[in-house]
Amino acid sequence: MDHAALQHLAQQQWWIPLFPLVAAAIQSLLPRGQRKLSAGLCIVAMGVSCVLALRALLATLGTGHHEVERVFFNFTWFHFGTTQLDMGLILDPLTAAMAAMVSFVGFWIFVNATGYMADDDNFTRFFCFLSLFAASMLGLVISNNLLLLFMCWELVGLCSYLLIGFWYFKPAAAAAMKKAFITTRIGDVGFFLGILMLYYKTGTLNMYTADGNGALQQAGALAHVAGWWGLSAASTIAFLLFIGAMGKSAQFPLHVWLPDAMEGPTPVSALIHAATMVAAGVFMVGRMYPLFTAEPGSWVMDFVMWIGCFTAVFSATIAVAQFDIKRVLAYSTCSQLGFMVMGLGAGSLVAGQFHLLTHAFFKALLFLGSGCVIIGTHHEQDMRKMGGLKKYMPITFWCYLIGMLALSGVPPFAGFFSKDEILLETFRRSKAAWGLATFAAFLTAFYMTRQMFMVFAGKWRGGDQDHGDGHDKHDDHGHGHHGGEPHEVPWNMWLPIAVLSVFAIGLGFFSHNYGLYLGVEGGEAAEGKAIVMGASLTVVALGLLFGWLIYGRKTMEHATDEDPLAAMGALFTFLNRKWYIDEFYEATVFRFTAVCAVFFRLFDKLVVDGILHAIAWVAWAISQMFRWLGDEFFINGGFDSGCETVRLGGKTLATLQSGRVQNYFRVLSLGAAILLLIYFFT
Amino acid sequence: MELIFWILSAITVLGAILAITLRNLIHCVLSLILFFLGIAGHYFLLRADFIAAVQILIYIGAVAVLMLFAIMLTRHVTGDEGPREVLGGKWWAGMGTAVIIAGLLWAIIRKDSLAQTLPAGTAATSVAEIGKALVANWVVPFEAMAVLLTAALIGAVVIALEEVIRKR
Amino acid sequence: MNIPLDHYLMLSAFLFAIGLCGALARKNAIIVLMGIEIMFNAGILNLIVFWHYRYFASVTAQMFAIFAISIAAAESAIGLALVIAVYRHYKSVTLDEMTSLKG
Repeated sequence: MDHAALQHLAQQQWWIPLFPLVAAAIQSLLPRGQRKLSAGLCIVAMGVSCVLALRALLATLGTGHHEVERVFFNFTWFHFGTTQLDMGLILDPLTAAMAAMVSFVGFWIFVNATGYMADDDNFTRFFCFLSLFAASMLGLVISNNLLLLFMCWELVGLCSYLLIGFWYFKPAAAAAMKKAFITTRIGDVGFFLGILMLYYKTGTLNMYTADGNGALQQAGALAHVAGWWGLSAASTIAFLLFIGAMGKSAQFPLHVWLPDAMEGPTPVSALIHAATMVAAGVFMVGRMYPLFTAEPGSWVMDFVMWIGCFTAVFSATIAVAQFDIKRVLAYSTCSQLGFMVMGLGAGSLVAGQFHLLTHAFFKALLFLGSGCVIIGTHHEQDMRKMGGLKKYMPITFWCYLIGMLALSGVPPFAGFFSKDEILLETFRRSKAAWGLATFAAFLTAFYMTRQMFMVFAGKWRGGDQDHGDGHDKHDDHGHGHHGGEPHEVPWNMWLPIAVLSVFAIGLGFFSHNYGLYLGVEGGEAAEGKAIVMGASLTVVALGLLFGWLIYGRKTMEHATDEDPLAAMGALFTFLNRKWYIDEFYEATVFRFTAVCAVFFRLFDKLVVDGILHAIAWVAWAISQMFRWLGDEFFINGGFDSGCETVRLGGKTLATLQSGRVQNYFRVLSLGAAILLLIYFFT
Repeated sequence: MELIFWILSAITVLGAILAITLRNLIHCVLSLILFFLGIAGHYFLLRADFIAAVQILIYIGAVAVLMLFAIMLTRHVTGDEGPREVLGGKWWAGMGTAVIIAGLLWAIIRKDSLAQTLPAGTAATSVAEIGKALVANWVVPFEAMAVLLTAALIGAVVIALEEVIRKR
Repeated sequence: MNIPLDHYLMLSAFLFAIGLCGALARKNAIIVLMGIEIMFNAGILNLIVFWHYRYFASVTAQMFAIFAISIAAAESAIGLALVIAVYRHYKSVTLDEMTSLKG
C-alpha cells in the first residue's frame, strides 16, 4: 500500500475505538433484561473493530520496507489564548499489532463472557463496561498524542475500577476496586509529571509531527538537555513515565493491586489484567522508547531492567504458594510483566513487545480456561477443592495445557520464543539479572505444573465438603445440580479458548519477523544464544520435573491435605502471605496517611475555621462600632437631641404668644425703639 | 408770650400723666379731658383755631363722654386697688420702652437744629377756606370719612349690642 | 412769639412717650385706650406744629388734622364698643386676664 493510502488509513484510525464506544453508549441505555441484544451489540462492535484493525495491520504489512512506515494524523482540539491543544492518531507497526491483538483477543473474551456471566443479574451493565474498556484501550494504542494517551490511560483505569468492583456489594470487591485505582493513581502522578516535563522541554504533546518537531522526534536533542538527578532531560522524562508504567503494569512496589483485582469476574481478569490493560504500561514504554534510549549511559534503563527482574522473581515465588486458581495466574501475570519490562530495560524493544503479544494470547487463554473451570465446578476457585477435572472437562483441559506449556516456555509454543528473546537480551546486558530471570523461568514452569496437577489430575476433591463455602460465590446460584460433579462448559465458553490456543502454539514463529516488522535490526549475533537457550530449556525441564515429582506422582487426596511444599514451614507461609507486603504498607503508608489526615482535619478546624471565625468576628465588631458610633450616637442621639431642641425652642417661643394684647404691644414698641436706635446711631 | 406756652404745656403734660397714673377711672377720664383742653390751647396758640374747636368738640365732647359711658358700663374696677393692682404685669417693660423712646426722640430732635421762629405776617387760613377745601379738593377724603364714620357707628353698635341680642 | 420748633416737638414727643407708657403699663383696657388717645393727640399736635412753622399758607395740614381727629374718634368708639363686648364675656376688662389667644 502506498504512502498516500496509508495516510488515509491513519485518518480513519479513530473508527477502531468508535464502534465499541458507541456500543457502550447504547448499552448504557438498554434495560437490564435485554441480554441478547446487549451481548450481541457488544460482540458485533468488537468484531467490526477487529476487522478494521486487521485491515490496518495488513496495510502496514504490505510495505515491506526496512524503514518503519509510520503515518499519523494530527489535528487541533481547541485553542486557548495563543496556545492550542492537539490530538493525534498514528498508524505504525507497533500500533497496528497492538490494535489487532486487543480487538482480536477482546472479541473472543467477549464471546466467553456471555457464558461466564450467563446467570448474573447485571449482564447488560457488564457488557457496557467491557465495551467502554475496549474503546479506551483501542484509543490508547492508536494515540499519537500524549494527552490523548493519558486520557485513555485514565479511562482504562476507570473501567478497571468499575469492573473489578462489578460485584460491589461484596466488601472484598469494593476494597479491591479502590486499591487498584489508588495504586495506579500513584503511578499516574509520575506519568503526568513526565508528560508535563516533556511538554515543557519540547513544546508539544504530539509524539510525531509532520515537521519533525514531535516530542519523540526531539528525543535525540533532549538527550543533551540537562534534567534532574544528573540525568539528561530525555532520561528524566523516561524515568517519570516509567513510574506510570510501574503502576499500570503492576511492577514492584506498586504491584499490590493486581492480585486483589481477581475479585472481579474472570473475563475481566482475562481481558484487563492479563492481556491488555496491564500491558498498556509496557506498550507505553515501547511507544516512548526513543526517550529511553536517547542517552545511552543513563541508569534509567538499568533501573527499568532491575525492577522488571525483581518483580519477575518476586511474584513467581509468591505464585508457588497460592491456592486460588486465579491468584496463581495473577502473580504469573505480574511475573511475566516483569519479564517484559526487563526485556525493555535490557535495551530490546522487540523482545519486550513480542512477549507482550504472545503473553496476551496465552494468558487470556489461561484465564478463560480458569473461568471455564470455575463455571464447570460451580464457582469453585480453591485448587485444593478441585482435581481430576481432566475427565470431566476435556476440552478445557487440553486448551489449558497448551496455555500452560506456552507460558512455561516449552518449545515450540509461543512463550518459548518470546521469553528466550528477553533472556538473550538480558544475558547480553547483565549476567546477574539473567541468572535471576532464569530462576524465575524455572519457578514459572514449576508453579504452572503444580497448578495443572492440582486442578486436572488426581481425583475430584470437590465433593468432600459442603458446597456452600466456595470462594467468591454469586448471590444467586442458578445451577441446577448442587454439589454435583463438574461438567464441561457450553460452546460459547470453550470456543474462544480453542481459538486462542491456536495462536498460543503458532505465534512464536513470528519472532524474527516481528523484529523486522517493527523496524529493529535483527541483531542475530550468535554470541550467548546457545548458552541462553540451553539454560532456558534446562530450567523448564527442571521445573516440569519438580512439579511432577512433588505434585504429580502423588496427587492430593483430600481438600484438607497439606500442600507438600508446606513442609518448608515458615518460608511457605511467607510466600503464601505475599511476603507480607500488604501488611507492611498497612503499617507504614496507611498509618502515615491516617496521621496526616488527622493533622489536616485539626488544621482545618483550628486554623482555617479559626481564621474564618476571626474575620467574621472582626466584621461583626466593625458593624457594632458603626452601629454604636454612627447610629446610636450620631443619628439617634443627634436626631433626638435636635428634635428635643426644636421642641424646647418651640415651647420657649410659645411663651411669646401669651395671648395678651398688651404684651404684643410692648414688644412692638420695643421693636420701634430699636429701629430708632439704629436710625440714631447710623 | 412764651409763658403761655409753658403753662399750656404744663397743663397738657400734667393731664396726660394723671390720666395714666390715677387709680380711679373717672379721675383718669377727667384728667384726660384736662389734657385735651391743654392740647386745644396749644392749637389756639398755633393759630389753628378750627382745629382747636374741632378738638374740643370731638375729643372732649364725644370721646371723653364715650369713655365715661364705657367705664360706667364696665363697672367693677373702680376704687379699691393698690398701685400694684393698677399696673399690669411687666409694667416696667412698658415704662422702660417709653422712656427709651422719649430719650431717643429728644436726641433726634436735638441733633437736627430746627430752631425756627414763627414766620411773621403770613395769613392764616380761615374756616371758610377750610370748608371750601373740604368740598372742593378734599371731597373724596371727606366722603370717605363720612362712610368710615358711618361704618364705625354701625360697627360699634353691632359689637356692643350683640350680647344683648343673643341673650334674648 | 418766638417759641422754637424744638420745644413743640419735644413736647409732642414727651406726650407720645407718656401715652405709650400708659398703653403699655396699665392693665385696664380703658386706660390703654386713653393712652392711645394721648398718643394720637401728640401726633396731631406735631402735625399742626409743622403746619404752623412751615406750611402756614396751605390748608393741607389742617385737612390732615381734621381727618386724623375723625379717625381717632371713630377708632376710640370701636375700641370702647369692643371693650364693652369683651366685658360682657369676661366680666372684666383687665387685660391680664384675657389669655384665650394664648399659645
